[in-house]
Amino acid sequence: MAKSKKKGFFLWRWLRRGVMGGDAEVRDILQEEQVQTPLRTVVNNFLHKKLAMTGLIVFLCIFLLVLIGPRYWVLDLSEQDSTLTNLPPGYNMMSLPKEMIGNVADIAAGRTYGIGIDRDGHMYTWGHTRITDKIDLADIPDEVREADLTMIAAGEDHAVALAEDGQLYVWGNTRLRQDQFSSDMKRAMQSGEDWDIVQLEAGNQFSAAVSAEGTLYLWGNTNMADAKIRSEYQGNIQKVALTSNEYIALLKDGTVAYTGYKGSGNPLASIPAGLEGKKVVDIASTAKTAAALTEDGEVYVWGNTGSGEGNIPAFEARVTHLYGGRAHYTALLEDGSVVSWGNNKYGQTDVPDSLEGKQVTAIYTGNFQNYALDADGNVYTWGLKGFPLGTDDLGRDMLTRIINGGRVTMTVGAISVVIATLIGVILGGLAGYFGGKVDILVMRISEIVGGLPFIPFAMILSAVIGTRIDPTRRMYLIMVVLGVLSWTGTCRLIRAQILAQREMEYVTAAKAMGIREVSIVFRHILPNVFSLLLVSMTLDFATCMLTESTLSYLGFGIPLPTPTWGNLLDGANNSVVIQQYWWRWVFPAAIFGVCTICINLVGDGLRDAIDPKSNER
Amino acid sequence: MGKYVLKRIGYIVLVFLIISLLMYALYNLIPSDPARAQLEGVRQTLRPDEYETMYRQLRAQLGLDDPLIVRYLRWMGLWTDVDGTFNGLLQGNLGYSQFFKKDAVDVIVEPMKNTIFINIFSTILSLGITIPVGIYCAVRKGKKFDQSMQVVTILGYSIPIYIISLIFMFFFCVLWRIFPIMGSRTAGITYANDWEAFVDKLYHITLPVIVMTFASLGGMTRYVRSAMIEALSMDYIRTARAKGLREKVVIYSHAWRNALLPVVTSIFGWFLSIFSGSVIIENTFALNGMGRLYWQGLNNQDFELVLAIQMFYTVVSLVGNLLIDVSYGLVDPRVRVDK
Repeated sequence: MAKSKKKGFFLWRWLRRGVMGGDAEVRDILQEEQVQTPLRTVVNNFLHKKLAMTGLIVFLCIFLLVLIGPRYWVLDLSEQDSTLTNLPPGYNMMSLPKEMIGNVADIAAGRTYGIGIDRDGHMYTWGHTRITDKIDLADIPDEVREADLTMIAAGEDHAVALAEDGQLYVWGNTRLRQDQFSSDMKRAMQSGEDWDIVQLEAGNQFSAAVSAEGTLYLWGNTNMADAKIRSEYQGNIQKVALTSNEYIALLKDGTVAYTGYKGSGNPLASIPAGLEGKKVVDIASTAKTAAALTEDGEVYVWGNTGSGEGNIPAFEARVTHLYGGRAHYTALLEDGSVVSWGNNKYGQTDVPDSLEGKQVTAIYTGNFQNYALDADGNVYTWGLKGFPLGTDDLGRDMLTRIINGGRVTMTVGAISVVIATLIGVILGGLAGYFGGKVDILVMRISEIVGGLPFIPFAMILSAVIGTRIDPTRRMYLIMVVLGVLSWTGTCRLIRAQILAQREMEYVTAAKAMGIREVSIVFRHILPNVFSLLLVSMTLDFATCMLTESTLSYLGFGIPLPTPTWGNLLDGANNSVVIQQYWWRWVFPAAIFGVCTICINLVGDGLRDAIDPKSNER
Repeated sequence: MGKYVLKRIGYIVLVFLIISLLMYALYNLIPSDPARAQLEGVRQTLRPDEYETMYRQLRAQLGLDDPLIVRYLRWMGLWTDVDGTFNGLLQGNLGYSQFFKKDAVDVIVEPMKNTIFINIFSTILSLGITIPVGIYCAVRKGKKFDQSMQVVTILGYSIPIYIISLIFMFFFCVLWRIFPIMGSRTAGITYANDWEAFVDKLYHITLPVIVMTFASLGGMTRYVRSAMIEALSMDYIRTARAKGLREKVVIYSHAWRNALLPVVTSIFGWFLSIFSGSVIIENTFALNGMGRLYWQGLNNQDFELVLAIQMFYTVVSLVGNLLIDVSYGLVDPRVRVDK
């Protein structure tokens, strides 16, 4: 029997055949004719179709990606970040230019970019520096380019640089008074009096500079931010740390104070009691919290610590410096090692192993980025490097959403097909098997359902029932609606097949041998119909996915924020998105298009494999 | 034949009644109370018991307390209204659009015109392209052109139409700036004459028509091609060739006429889609058509309008099925439909 000769999984055999260039098991024609089941013939025919096999392999790759992918690209439905919206694809946000390596004087980590100056006073930018259509931080003004720079700071949408002669430069977005210096500052800048700047900071539309004399200069947009200082603290400032809308100051006497005006009720203004009587040597801040380091190495974090900034790890050595990003802190220890904690969504706290044993001399931390400089001048980076497929209008990673959306779309498609096939097989089987009145009834029902305009009907069902249930149930509803509306094709197919097969000789033979009717239907007829059923399921799967995505695209399918391949394209049909944010529609459209094309190729290939006569068409 | 058509029409009426009853019941699942909505304005001026009596009166007047089936029959126009007259779908009263504050009939007229206008263009265009291409592919089966067309048609029917629209928008509206990206007229324009208005409308619907044509190429080309191949493999073609007829005559006179039979029937069904329009295309391009009106109605919870359009869709699709079956019997005498 050929059956015993054919060992192994068919894919393996197919691979072996591909490698060895020929069928190792040569059977005579008679054997093959006799022994192969219809299914096996179909599989063999199918394996010889290059286009269909390519389609199958590509589809399986996509399928595995969306099946396994969500484990690694975990979806967070509440995710959004206003600082990371509409970023183009790229992975270069922390790629320093070669000229800077070994020659770093200062680095400012912006939201998606970095600015650095080398020891010769030259400035470099890297990463995604485009703020808006017109504003690009890489367009450094000529006077800044020529100036000998000593200090830089990167804010949300503007950058600040200090030249050796004490001149301050601001560029980037200056529409919200980011470059409007106060008259005090201008005076100090001109006279040089009280203008020995030791610290330069830039935040969300406002900036700060601290002079050696203890004067704090604040400028920028004060509508949102508390960019003012109470007069009793002025002249007594040693260091400031900017949060998104406020700042915390370290005073010269070693205490920490909230020196602005909007302190009441603000969690940032309630300095921890543990700090009382202790001398603070360093402060840092994230967007919503502040941290202080005392003389004896204790770290205190306060404010709105929702992103895990409060989970201070146990340090192996005394902390000497503190640095803050947008939602994480980085600490430099006495022994030269580095510890990061807080939000780790973009790997901000994954200190690279290669840093181990290196003597770290300086750390530059900001937003989602960390740069560490060792004694040899090498730069180590960790944090947000970029988004391979960009981000959408709420700052969500497109790759994560595409992978998770694919899972939703495929799940909905698969379950709808299963529902449709079940209904179709049962009703079709009943109609074909019993005939007569049952047949007429079933066929009339199927004509009614098949006659309904599909998309409008699915829309009204989803709109009427779907508005009153939660999103998860709505997803099930969509599955059921799609399944209940698309079974008619399968039903007609099964009925026709059973009617046709009943007249075949083998059924007559089986009947003559006295085999029971039920057994004839399930053991003799159904296997012969199965291959056709497989084709119709494959093609239905593509159709159901298409319908689901169409419904979601129209807003009557799976509601946002749950991603599907359809609703990822919701809102993409305007010229701004199509042109400027092309990654928001090109990638979902591409993967979905490829997926449906592959399924259709597989379905066509299967159909040809089942009915070799149709090859001629 | 006549008997068959009559039977089918009777069947259509029955199916229409069933579907409309289902839809009406579904629509009634929505919690709404028109009587309370009407009284909301005067609620503050009335004492609670006065309000209650008025509310009850109004409910009775609107017939809201009657059983579902009675309300359905009234809406259908098969049962007398509270005032003793018939006033329903069958009398031409499609209901009242809460959103537009107009009778549904008046709301539907303008979008319907637009939809028909757009669809006639795209149907003629796609028939004009698919039939010659399908014949050519069938005649030159397996050649390079045929193979490349196979790939193009797979693309055409696999890729969702809204993705095709986005790609076309990118090239035609954004990159080359040939066509406007959406809308059915230039914003803020006043037309000097009808001709100008017509040209402007034409300019706005060109891209949607191109997209619709492209999307429908796939299925139809394959259909024509396979029908033609089937016809070409027949014995009479061999006979025609054997007796020395020119290839042109064989293809266009012998094969094509017979290949036409299945194509004609699907064309009938296709022409009916002229009325229903495409929800997706009209939404993507913001065209004021039936599909978009339906979408708006659902979004605005304007269910009486939606129900009216839904009934219209149902009638169109049922009549379409009938036409397909009847035309099959008409063009191909071998098919006896009245069996």
